[in-house]
Amino acid sequence: MSTGDFQFLLFLGTLLFMIGATGVLIRRNPLVIFMSIELMLNSVNLVLVAYGRALNSLAGQVFAFMVIVVAAAEVVVGLAMVTRVFRAEHTLDVDRLDEMKD
Amino acid sequence: MSQGFVTTVVLLVLGFPLIGSLINAAFGSAKRRGLVNIVGTVSIGAAFVVSAVALIVMLTAASSHRAVTVTLWNWYVVGGSLSVAFQATLDQLSIIMLLVVTGVGFLIHVYSVGYMEHDEGVARFFAYMNFFVFSMLFLVLAADLVFLIIGWALVAVSSYFLIGFWYERPSAVAAARKAFITQVIGDVALVIAAFLIVTNVMSPIGTHIYSLSMPTIFHNVASFQYGSSTVTWICLLLAIGAFAKSAQFPLHTWLPDAMEGPTPVSALIHAATMVTAGVYLIARFHPLFDRAPIIQGLVACVGIGTSFMAGIIALSQVDIKRVIAYSTMSQIGLMIYAVGMGAYAAGMYHLVTHAFFKALLFLGAGNVIHAMHDEQDIRVMGGLGKRLKITEKSFLIGSLALSGIPLFAGWFSKENLLGYGVLNGPGHVALLLYIIGVCINVLTGLYAFRLWAIVFKGEPQTARPAAAHEAPRIMLVPVVILAALSAIAGFFLWWPVAFGSVRVQDFTQFLSPVFTSITSGPLAHEPGVASGWIGMLVGTAMSLIGVGGALRLWLRREPDAETVASRIPRFITQLSMHKFYFDELYDAAIVRPLRAVAKWCRKLIEPEIMDGWVEGVGIGVDDLGNTLQPFQSGLIRDYIAYMVFFALLFVIIIVGVVVR
Repeated sequence: MSTGDFQFLLFLGTLLFMIGATGVLIRRNPLVIFMSIELMLNSVNLVLVAYGRALNSLAGQVFAFMVIVVAAAEVVVGLAMVTRVFRAEHTLDVDRLDEMKD
Repeated sequence: MSQGFVTTVVLLVLGFPLIGSLINAAFGSAKRRGLVNIVGTVSIGAAFVVSAVALIVMLTAASSHRAVTVTLWNWYVVGGSLSVAFQATLDQLSIIMLLVVTGVGFLIHVYSVGYMEHDEGVARFFAYMNFFVFSMLFLVLAADLVFLIIGWALVAVSSYFLIGFWYERPSAVAAARKAFITQVIGDVALVIAAFLIVTNVMSPIGTHIYSLSMPTIFHNVASFQYGSSTVTWICLLLAIGAFAKSAQFPLHTWLPDAMEGPTPVSALIHAATMVTAGVYLIARFHPLFDRAPIIQGLVACVGIGTSFMAGIIALSQVDIKRVIAYSTMSQIGLMIYAVGMGAYAAGMYHLVTHAFFKALLFLGAGNVIHAMHDEQDIRVMGGLGKRLKITEKSFLIGSLALSGIPLFAGWFSKENLLGYGVLNGPGHVALLLYIIGVCINVLTGLYAFRLWAIVFKGEPQTARPAAAHEAPRIMLVPVVILAALSAIAGFFLWWPVAFGSVRVQDFTQFLSPVFTSITSGPLAHEPGVASGWIGMLVGTAMSLIGVGGALRLWLRREPDAETVASRIPRFITQLSMHKFYFDELYDAAIVRPLRAVAKWCRKLIEPEIMDGWVEGVGIGVDDLGNTLQPFQSGLIRDYIAYMVFFALLFVIIIVGVVVR
């Protein structure tokens, strides 16, 4: 893998992470926010794998698998929470879920 | 006397009044008057019985085995360097104080049952009185300076409670405060003296275990030179403590004001016991005073000076209790003079007889005040002798004893005391002090019989004396007993008596082991027989002149007292009437400047600096809260945004600072 490819992969990872972060910040639907979080996680996976390749180490790929497992578990918990919140509040607009202030 | 016996005596003597005080404080009330009266008097009576038993046991022991010090409680020991233990000494000196405090105290407590009959605060009164007796006994028994100081402060605080007993009277509260503050000056002096003793008196013999145990102090002080500056400073501070407690110049102004308290309080605390604690202190610390001739001289001069001044003031006062208060100040001045001259036994002897006749005079005055429905001004009295026959006779005996008329108690003690000074002490000064002393005899006779004549003789000045009635029996019995003691105590203490195995010595001999066992300075030697006789004759003559003068001036009124007073230079009568302007002086020199500082603080420091600072903190926190409050929106989105922002900031700082 050439240096140019590696730099491109890092650039792509950063871009995906920022898109994901922006999505988390500006979207109101929790499902979309989840998708954005997945995007951020996967951008990190990309960077991990790219580093693993560049440094000729397996550790990057091992961590990427780890992240995938955690992301799957997180989605399970997160979606369960979303359904519970919807049942309690009858809305999925996160801007109206501001009880934390009180 | 065995250690176990002394321990028992100390615990019982201290325990009875303390328990009495606690019971009255916890369970007493005006509704349970009977219980309060019984607990209050019996506790002191029991302590007196124990003291009397202790005296008899002491007399059966050989005179060298009469002083026993026991350790009751180790308060704290700091790693082999400082130890403070509650030690109590039962010796000839403390047993006399025990007997006076509990004996006279018991009579005064019995009297109080009658005097406080209509007072709602009777339980509080007896709780305080018992507590006072406890404190006073604690003070005289303590053989460790730390505990002596604790007792010293406890009697001051009980005196404060009792002077301010009628707390709804502003004048009583002010008097209580004045007495307490003045006494605290003495307390502080004593504490500093204790510091000096710890740092200086303990080192010379090489031990590093500091202790304030008085036998140790007296043992160690023997290695100091006569006139050593360390001992002089310690004695000066001890003397200041004694002056504050015994109302001596310049710390004397609290005593007349202390008459705001109930009359039994004046009799017990401000005549018989607490105010004489200064005399006791100097007598107790005689090994130190014997080594500080300058302070001995100072003490003698202050004593005689206060005595003379108080005698002059007493001549013009019109409040019956204040006259007796100034008389007390004057008599204590004589005792202080005696202990200053090194005549410790003579001073203690006068202390005992004075306790009898002064308590008697105060209780007699209490009967008069009771009969006059709380009137204390002698100008509206007169002719009370016809109404209060027993009180009048007792008061007469008290006045005779006070004036030093031959064969009454005061005569023995006062002439003994003055005679001691004639050829004893440093030359001309001692003679001068003696001359002032016999002049005080004249003054004593004058003011004592002025009071008696104005109150009990002559014509009633208003309608009230004619309606007066004699006090109830419970108030008369203590007065009569005290009158009997004032009449015969002199013989009792003067002549050695022997019956069975109990040997009763005369007072001076009885006390002499205490005052000579460790050391004696050059001043402390017995006066010769000749000087004793001269002193007695001159003193007696002067006392008779005083009494005779008083009877002519105020009883027969030829010449009338007012015409004589008008012939005396005006400034003298003014000084007398205004108590030598000491209250005005202290007011101008201390009270008003302090009050001005306080006002200035109230106006400037308090609102601007203190409040400003405190409020500034509050306002600052409030502002900070208001500024930060909008950031807590409750929206996850905002929180994530902050997180991202600060994470970015962190990365930038890491990259910018650390990596570079």
